[in-house]
Amino acid sequence: MSSIDLPQGTLDLLILKTLNLEPQHGWGISERIRQISHEVLHVQQGSLYPALHRLERRGWIRATWGVSDNNRRAKYYELTPEGRRQLEDASASWQKLSAAVQIILDTA
Amino acid sequence: MLGDLLYRGRALFRRKVVEDDLDAELQFHLDRLTEQHVRAGKTPDEARRLSRIALGGVSQIKEQCRESWGVGWIHAVAKDLGYALVRVRRYPRSAAMIEGSLALGIGMSVAMFSLVDAVLLRPLPFPNQDSIYVIQKADPLAGAHVEELAYPELVDLQESIPGFEYVAVTPTSLYGYARVLETGTADPVQLEASPVSHDFFRVLGVTPRLGRGFTDSDERVGAPPVVVISDRTWREHLGADPGIIGRTVRLNGQGHSVIGVMAPGVEFPRGAALWVPLGIEQRVVERRGATFLQAVARSKPGYPRQQVDRDVSALFTRLANEYPESYSSSQRGVVTPLVNYWTGSARIHLWIVLGASLLLLTASAISSGGLLLSRAVSRRSEIATHLALGAPPRRIFTRMAAEGAVAGVIAAIAGLGIAYLVIHSLVKWPPADIPRLSEASLDLNSFCFAVGAAAFVAVVCSLAPGWALSRMRLESAIREGDPRSSVSHRANRSRGLFVLAQSAVTFVLLATAVLLVLSYRSVALVETGLANRDALTMDVSLRGPGLFPSQAFDPVTTDAFYSRLLQRLREEPGVTSAGAILLRPLAGPIGWDIPYEFEFEAGSWDGKQRPKANYEVVTADYFETVGSPLLQGRDFDSRDSQEAEPVAIISETLADRVRSAGHTPLGHRVRLAIRWSPGWMRVVGISGDARYRSGTHSGAHIFVPILQAGQATRHVVIRGPRPRQELSELVQRLVREIDPSQNAGDPLTIGELIDRDTARHRFNVIMLLWFGACAVFLAVTAVYSVIAETMAARRTEVAIKSALGAQRNQVVRDLVVRTIRFAVLGLAVGTAAVSVLGTLGPDVFRGTSARDPIVLIPVAAFLFVVSLGAAVWPAWHATRDNRRTLLRES
Repeated sequence: MSSIDLPQGTLDLLILKTLNLEPQHGWGISERIRQISHEVLHVQQGSLYPALHRLERRGWIRATWGVSDNNRRAKYYELTPEGRRQLEDASASWQKLSAAVQIILDTA
Repeated sequence: MLGDLLYRGRALFRRKVVEDDLDAELQFHLDRLTEQHVRAGKTPDEARRLSRIALGGVSQIKEQCRESWGVGWIHAVAKDLGYALVRVRRYPRSAAMIEGSLALGIGMSVAMFSLVDAVLLRPLPFPNQDSIYVIQKADPLAGAHVEELAYPELVDLQESIPGFEYVAVTPTSLYGYARVLETGTADPVQLEASPVSHDFFRVLGVTPRLGRGFTDSDERVGAPPVVVISDRTWREHLGADPGIIGRTVRLNGQGHSVIGVMAPGVEFPRGAALWVPLGIEQRVVERRGATFLQAVARSKPGYPRQQVDRDVSALFTRLANEYPESYSSSQRGVVTPLVNYWTGSARIHLWIVLGASLLLLTASAISSGGLLLSRAVSRRSEIATHLALGAPPRRIFTRMAAEGAVAGVIAAIAGLGIAYLVIHSLVKWPPADIPRLSEASLDLNSFCFAVGAAAFVAVVCSLAPGWALSRMRLESAIREGDPRSSVSHRANRSRGLFVLAQSAVTFVLLATAVLLVLSYRSVALVETGLANRDALTMDVSLRGPGLFPSQAFDPVTTDAFYSRLLQRLREEPGVTSAGAILLRPLAGPIGWDIPYEFEFEAGSWDGKQRPKANYEVVTADYFETVGSPLLQGRDFDSRDSQEAEPVAIISETLADRVRSAGHTPLGHRVRLAIRWSPGWMRVVGISGDARYRSGTHSGAHIFVPILQAGQATRHVVIRGPRPRQELSELVQRLVREIDPSQNAGDPLTIGELIDRDTARHRFNVIMLLWFGACAVFLAVTAVYSVIAETMAARRTEVAIKSALGAQRNQVVRDLVVRTIRFAVLGLAVGTAAVSVLGTLGPDVFRGTSARDPIVLIPVAAFLFVVSLGAAVWPAWHATRDNRRTLLRES
């Protein structure tokens, strides 16, 4: 099955959604997106980190150093209350958009 | 928002920690990836390789993360500036070249800007200065550029033009109104004074710091004498006495009550140290013929300039109809805003010099940009490597910008130093009589200007190299054997454009300089008709009480004084000749222009305006002393007494008029067409044409002997082998011996008077020639470095070509033609630009034209030859020296 490159701007939404479940480190986020999307969505691993740092600067996520499951020091990201609000807004508008696109695709 | 700032602050100031964190984070990711691959059965090496590919370029990711921190640009700028500084150290010769030419450009333009700022841009100390006008008249048909007004015209202006709030009159020149001030506590001093009508200070909008200004009661005929003194006079000569108001000081021996001390900085007319009321003499107030004044007027708010012009013109036309016996029908009003009047012709000259210095700045920026481009091209492989490692193209661009900025800042600092020296010397040794020049200094404005100039330089210097390099094709830059040739097309084109721009700017500067030199020549080399440059002239006006100090004595008294003075001077050892004259040559635009007629044309005027000639009163030996030859006839002598027949000496121009009418000038008679005319005067001599008002003034003069004239001579001229200092001390001593209440001052030789007359032109010429020479030098270096650089870049190709039998000439020609083409295009652009300058006006390009091919073609040819030389020289050398060695290398 061929994978799809992420449309511009959706990476932020996916990161926020992933972190909504539990705090996670960069490697974990990338793995989870791959697994949940059944390997359809292809996240360029290198582009994950600039996005994480950008979200952190905006105050939507917070980073803390913790210990990973294999006992190594890892940087964990978690949603801030502001990030949660942002996630709600962004997923609402995403759903609106995709529904609208779906209607057009179905009828036109 | 606050969180954002804190985040950026941390990234900026705890850089190490943040970078280490990023390293650790990425390493963790890589390790997990590698583990995954190992679990899938790969060898550890293979696993590591695969995970690196999956993650992507680490340094690129890091760079992107840094950008996410929002401080990436700060670090990048700091890094680039560091690199730029390193480059300055690593290439000291080209850095010195770049900084030197930029500092010169910035320094000169900052200095010239400071002059313009001090002289033209800073407001005068008069509120709403733009609504103040100076009003004079002109009579183009009679050849008079300036006609003076009489007191009755003040009333006409006040009554007929409702748009004026206040109108006042003052003499057109301070000349002849100086007062000797006796304070009773110090030595008498001679100060410039200006008689003014009583609204004068209200026109200027200034009020005294102490006491009061003039009122109409001060200006009545027979009113008690009062004086307003300037702040400077009050401080320098009256000890800044706060109780000065109401005290009496003696002016020319007459007691005047001090009624006011003017606000600081008010010295108008320029140089005035005190003011006295004007309308205190019946003959001044009533006579329309007593023309020696100009008006100053303040317009009411909302009264536009055009309306002022129209109303003043209409008034003077009406007056000419009402008083045909007093005014010529071709007279018209000349309205000059006070600001323009104040700076006069210095205005256009200063703007030209500033413009030229900006061109020099542009030329230096262009040549430095070219050098930086060449330097950048030579390190293309290094830049290609950076691009390969993932640096975005705009980082290359910002690196060039940093080099430009560093060049600009260093040059600005050095340039401010140069500017300081230039301003300092210009203020210390003023090149010409330019008002407010002494106020020029390096101030905040100059500093801002320098910053602007540096920014301009930085932009010009970094645009082209950045443009050429940031877009170079990565693969070709790395792959090609010769790392120099891959961007050569783009780089060559931008270097060509640099050569074009440079040659255009250089042409404009040099052509303007040459035009100004020609114009200056036509002014300075005008035959002044005064051969004795060493003859010393001094102001020996006899001063007595009254409005017109020099008219306080009757002709017999003044003649007796001058006769004794000249007699004693001639007896002194080391004095070869001495004489006296009413107004010395080249003393300025003011003088006695008087209508006249010859006997042959008498009665033929029929309402037409008679021609005017410069009227001068002279003593015997005057002509010999200044070296103005008598072409025919004789000099005045003791025969020409009050009782004898009136006689005159006329200049050659006037004699020609008589000759062309078929008469013999010598023995013909001439008459002045004015009230105090001494009647028909027989021409006893013809003098060579000499220049009196200025170097460009006509040569029509009528000289009358002192005993037969109604006016006293005011200047002594003296010549001898003794040094001028001794001569001037001698005159001063003898004057005091004859009359202790008089004094002699303002010593100037004929040569100094001639030089002063052309000083502004000379100042322009010197500056422009200097700028032009600098620009030519920069242009030569630019062409040279382009060719040398191209040759260096393509040495292998050239060597192979010439080894394969191509004529060396052919190889050189190909290279040179390509560069020179741009230089020639530049010359064409420059020619177009110069012809636009032709609209600057007749005062600038006198006796020549900005479109004159006889000027432009040689300048273009010169620049072409120089550029060609600068191009051929390195090309020729490269082919000759390098053929064998290079072939061996390759």
